[in-house]
Amino acid sequence: MEDQKPNEQTPFGQQPFGQTPFGNNPGPAPKNWLVESILVTLFCCLPFGIAGIVNAANVNSKYAMGDYAGAQAASAAAGKWTKIGFFVGIGVYVLYILFFVVLGMGGAMMSNYR
Amino acid sequence: MKFKYILGFAFVVMLSVVYYEFNPEMYNFFPECPFHKFLHLDCPGCGSQRAIHSLLHGNIIQALNYNLLLVISLPFLLLHLLLKIFSYLCSEDYNLKIWHKPITPKIIFVVVVIFWISRNIPKEPFIYLAA
Repeated sequence: MEDQKPNEQTPFGQQPFGQTPFGNNPGPAPKNWLVESILVTLFCCLPFGIAGIVNAANVNSKYAMGDYAGAQAASAAAGKWTKIGFFVGIGVYVLYILFFVVLGMGGAMMSNYR
Repeated sequence: MKFKYILGFAFVVMLSVVYYEFNPEMYNFFPECPFHKFLHLDCPGCGSQRAIHSLLHGNIIQALNYNLLLVISLPFLLLHLLLKIFSYLCSEDYNLKIWHKPITPKIIFVVVVIFWISRNIPKEPFIYLAA
């Protein structure tokens, strides 16, 4: 059983010793996907990267305010949008190349069949 | 984990060779942006392929003409990549701290949206931004 240690808990309204009031960070900053969403915005030609940038803004401001759970949720959302943009971009690219290859093969066969 | 990075590096080198050899303006096997194809408007990434081709040939002015935002942001992204590799090799954290400042994504968002809107305005000072 987890026993409570009231001596180690600081009283309400009092900052624990050695910690600044606003630097109450329970963990490292979650990944904010900012660079990845910039890359998606620039190279995948799709507006999904913008959603990633907005969520990255949420991650940073929530983490700065000390809302660690909110920052993690925003990090998950940013990752989701960035991945959607990335894979849709890759998908469009691959489909286009496939389309081109199929057309090219068709053209080559037709010219042989003539 | 390491294999992924080697694969990515090989992929980037391969793409660079393709974009160096073939001009996306001339050859039609480069995919066109769906946003531009269906809406006939430029998105923030339109012109990136031509800009990369121009950059690989050292033609910075033409690259700026194709996509201003890409050429401006590439130094930051390259610096980020180099610092990341450096801190991986030295196992110390040299990464840029600006990515975690709350104001940075907001500035980037505003810049991207202003760029997106202004490059679609068919008036004299803005048509240079269009892809």
